[in-house]
Amino acid sequence: MSSELERRLETMLAEAPEPDPGAGEEALHWALRVLQPVAAPRRGMRTAVLVFAGAVVLLVIAAGSLAAAGALHVSIGAKSKPPPPPAPELRLPKGANGVAAIVNGQLSVATRGGRTQLPASAAALSPRALYVAVGSGDSLVALAPDGRRAWSHRAGGKVVAIAWAPDGFRIAYVVHAGRRFVLHVIYGNGVNDTPIDRSVRAVRPSWRGDSLAFAYVGGGGRAVVYDVGHESRRVVAIRPPVTAVAFAPSGDALALEGPKAVSLVNGSAHRQINSASVGAFGWLNGRLAVAVPGLNSNLIRVFAPDGALSGSSRAHGIVKAITPKLVVVQRGETLVAGHTTLLTVPRSATVRDLQIG
Amino acid sequence: MRRARRGDREAAALLFRRYWRDAWRAAFAITGRQSLADDVAADGFERAFAALERFDDRRPFGPWLHRIVANRALDLLRAERRLSDEELPDAPDSAPSHGAGDRSLLSAVADLSLERRVVVVLRYGVGMTPKQIAEALDLPVGTVNSRLARALEQLRESLEVEHVE
Repeated sequence: MSSELERRLETMLAEAPEPDPGAGEEALHWALRVLQPVAAPRRGMRTAVLVFAGAVVLLVIAAGSLAAAGALHVSIGAKSKPPPPPAPELRLPKGANGVAAIVNGQLSVATRGGRTQLPASAAALSPRALYVAVGSGDSLVALAPDGRRAWSHRAGGKVVAIAWAPDGFRIAYVVHAGRRFVLHVIYGNGVNDTPIDRSVRAVRPSWRGDSLAFAYVGGGGRAVVYDVGHESRRVVAIRPPVTAVAFAPSGDALALEGPKAVSLVNGSAHRQINSASVGAFGWLNGRLAVAVPGLNSNLIRVFAPDGALSGSSRAHGIVKAITPKLVVVQRGETLVAGHTTLLTVPRSATVRDLQIG
Repeated sequence: MRRARRGDREAAALLFRRYWRDAWRAAFAITGRQSLADDVAADGFERAFAALERFDDRRPFGPWLHRIVANRALDLLRAERRLSDEELPDAPDSAPSHGAGDRSLLSAVADLSLERRVVVVLRYGVGMTPKQIAEALDLPVGTVNSRLARALEQLRESLEVEHVE
């Protein structure tokens, strides 16, 4: 019986499916990234290399002399492809655990544990910036600060928006699958991926402070709050289209951005708190901050969670992002947060997913 | 192998292409899910390449890689169990390419404990010897043999019960 059983087992297990070629190419890319650099050459080889280098130096000096004398026209690298511009290096603001931004498709991350750069379609820092979740190719990848991959999950399309829950336990992300954007939730260690809504907008979800619910923009531009504990959803009664959502760091207050207004929903009450066009908005020190664009500077209006105006101030520059503790302002070619110059980029550069954790 | 150990990317890519399919199938055999197999096999290669310098190239690469893949798969499955409110389906999922004609056996394998299922799939799905499995899972060979024997016994009983019913 056993030998017959063993044959049946071999036959059954031999019928396992084949790996997807795309998965293989992606795995190869990541595996080669960690390959150790070439070991130092041996002594004999080193001598040969030094002799060759010396010869090259002599040739260059001779060619330079001839060129200076007009006897030789030197054209170095005229036909070679110009190297891609280096990704800008971010500086960590004082007191922050980490900062991340995607500049022209290149993600830069700086944390207390290290820094890394790579091409990315979306990014989100984990709580305390211990990891960064990245849309890379068709995968959602979690990277440690030194650039090492903690885990990777095949998302089945380009990941366009990511939000890490404040308790670090779950990640909500939006993936471009075919003609649709699909919302998923996955555990913070890369397992138990669950599709939540198969038709959403490519907008970053926002987690409630208790990590038990998050808001997203569903099909038709309606704001939806999804309760992960009860697996239930509630459509927010705000006229669509909603273009961005932001839960307060604590409590139930939810800020929603429309084409020309920001609304605040708190329980069953909701009010429109800003009727001018909006440059950026977000929760700053527990209050809702809305940047109203001006010519060279922005007015920042600050509201309490109940919607009452609690103050305003003028930013010296164009507000690019409002993070929990700092406002990021663009002045010329520099992005400044508090007293720290985060990075220097051309005005034409596309900066997205800028976060300070 | 020596070139890959020195950091030669082309050699490493050749090594990858030679072993990727087997590693993936081992990962699939253990996890039973394609998406998890993608992650486990990729992670296995990443860890293997990161540790190539420490690899003893007098030994075969395949069993060493399978050891990494098998342990990573077990870690992930155990982590899922801990994280999930419900017990996860401890079994190969309903991949249509599995032999439809042997559904009773598939179901019986699915009922095996994780520890027994792993040795069964490494033995009969990947073709590893009990000694290689023992090395891969860091277990005594006797334990592997005993798990295999008990797993076969359990499978046999399950199939007999089904036959009687």
